[in-house]
Parts: sequence; structure tokens; C-alpha cells
Amino acid sequence: MSDLDRDLRDLAAAIDFPATPDLSARVRGRLAQPERVQPYRWVAIAVAVAVLAVSVGLAVPDARTAIFRLFHVGSVSISFVERLPEVQPGRPLDLGEPISPTEAPFRLLHSELLGAPDTVYRRGGIVTLLYGTRERVRLLVTQIPASGFTPEIGKKLAATGTRVEFVEIAGSPGPGVWITGRPHLVSLPGGPARLASNTLIWQRGPLTIRIEGAATIAQATRIAESLT
Amino acid sequence: MHQGIAFRTALLITGTTGDAEEAAQDAFVKGFRALRRFRTERPFRPWLLAIVANEARNRRRSASRRQGLELRAATEIRPGDAAPSPEAAALRDERRQLLLRAVDGLPAEQRLVVGCRYFLDLSEAETATTLGIRTGTVKSRLARALERLREEVPADV
Repeated sequence: MSDLDRDLRDLAAAIDFPATPDLSARVRGRLAQPERVQPYRWVAIAVAVAVLAVSVGLAVPDARTAIFRLFHVGSVSISFVERLPEVQPGRPLDLGEPISPTEAPFRLLHSELLGAPDTVYRRGGIVTLLYGTRERVRLLVTQIPASGFTPEIGKKLAATGTRVEFVEIAGSPGPGVWITGRPHLVSLPGGPARLASNTLIWQRGPLTIRIEGAATIAQATRIAESLT
Repeated sequence: MHQGIAFRTALLITGTTGDAEEAAQDAFVKGFRALRRFRTERPFRPWLLAIVANEARNRRRSASRRQGLELRAATEIRPGDAAPSPEAAALRDERRQLLLRAVDGLPAEQRLVVGCRYFLDLSEAETATTLGIRTGTVKSRLARALERLREEVPADV
């Protein structure tokens, strides 16, 4: 231990921190009041950024690149990075094991607008509805149980050229996020990281949902709001 | 149970007890409401402190100018201290005050790391989460801060 280290510890022990005020009564009082609903919960996002900036190590292929911004929609984190890590192109789309919709581990949301999916896949707790085929995907609807107490978390990396817009989705507790422009990288637990096209992500009750493949924000929003 | 550390973390950042109290209070309210986003496999204290730090930073930004730390080093002899000679006690107190002023004069990013590591006794990992930086950044900022403190408060003062 250096002299300075010792001196700093000595100083720390001698510091007269002002007495901590009793916060509990006022905090309890405020918690008893209904939560203000903000159409765009920037505050929640700011908190999530602070919380997650460090706690989410990017587990997608070694992404040792500067992170410019990071935020969080449900159980999916979205990071802006200097450059995307390399992924193997041309891999067949790997969405997990095909299942019957009745085998889903939670009640799936369905869209009357879209009708029945061509195939339903499950990987871990995550279920993906595929419209089209794995070779010619028309649309993907991925439903992620967003319990705050599971370690499962989807990650997205976006780099220069990828645009992100916030969009209000009826029934979502916070804004949804619409990602367009250059392909971004998506990584869901258990699956390989891959490049993704236009994606809308939002929260609905305990689920975080992502729709990939819609052509426009209006179309994506209409599909999102049709899911029940 | 986390009130003390939350308040002191906020105080390190805002520099004033009034702002620190409000920041800590807001953080508890927001933290409680954000509990569903908390992941149980992660330690709770740094998660909460990160919210506190964020609230405190928001308040500091809204304040026109950051004030100096409202902290002072105790000059009285605490129970359990070896009784030093009056000269030694005076020297030690003077050194503490010098060091405290030097810490207060560090650039904010370094001051916060020193504050978290020494004054709040947080680990490197906790400091990183609280301040929203990587542990490597904690290490490098601390190293720069200590270097600067060594220059400003030489060991023989």
C-alpha cells in the first residue's frame, strides 16, 4: 500500500459526511402516489442507459469497438457502435426448433392482419413466428418473455448508417424503436448473431416483441397494434 | 438499508446536501418503480447506485455551477485513535485537509472515481456500474487521479 493510498484511506475514515437524512418516509409517500405516465419515458431510458452501459457486456461476436450509445427496450438492448463485428454471411436462418403453436411456453400473440404463420420456432424461452420460408422470409415476429428476472437478453448492434426512431405503439408502456437503414446485428440467446433488416421492437405486457421485415414504419406499427 | 451509501454517492456528485438528498430520494422512487428491470443475478447495490448517480448528475447539470464538496475531514481525535502528540495531530489534520482539497480539485471524472473507491469504499466493479463506465476506465482514471494527487500533495507535506 502506497503512502498516498494509506493517506486516502485515513482521510476517508476521517471524513465528516453529513448525516443521512431519513428518506424512507418521503419515498414511501411518493410511491403511494400514482406514477406519472409519460408518453415517452425518456427518464426510464436514461436510467436504463446508466444501468446497462456497464452491466451488459456485449456477448455478440467480439465487439471490441467503441459504444456510442446504448439503450434498452424491454429485454433487448440496443447499442450504437463504431463498427459491427463480422458475422458469417449467407448462413441459413437459424431460429431454433420448429414447434406447434400450442407448444409455446407462453400464450403467443397472434395477428388477424397477418393470419397464421407458416412456421413457429422456439429457442429457449423465445418464440419466433415465420411468415414465408427460411430461405425467403417475408416477416418474422419474435416474442421474448420479458421477465426482468431472467438473464436472457437480446442484443442489437447498430453502426453508422442505421437509423433509429422512437414510435408510439398502442398498448406499449414505452416507446417502440424502429430500426432501418443499413442492416444491424441482432443476437438472441442461444442463436448465432446475424444481420437484420428493418425491425420494430416494443414491449407488450410481459413480452418484448420484434417484427423484422416490414417495409415501412406505418406497416410495422399496424402489424404491431394488430397483435393480440 | 442503502440510504446512507445512496446519499453519500449523490453528495459526491452534486456537492451539496440539499441536491444530494433530493437526488437520492428520486433515485429510490425510480429504482423501486424500475425493479422489474433489475436482474436478480446482478448485485443490487451498484444497480441502485447507478440510478442515484444518474439522478445526481441530472441535478448537477441543472445547477449553474458545481459547488465544492460540502465535506470536511474531522479534526477531532476519535475514540480508539492512538493519542498523537499535538504537533503530529496538527500535521496529520493539515495533510488531510490538503488532500481533501486536492481531491476536490480533481477533474470531475477522476474525483468521482476516487470518491467511490476511497470515500464510499466501493469495489472497482461497483464503481464501474455506479458511474456507468468500464472497470478498465475506473483503473485508468484512478491511476491518473493518484498521479495528480501525488504531485499536488507530496508525501513530505
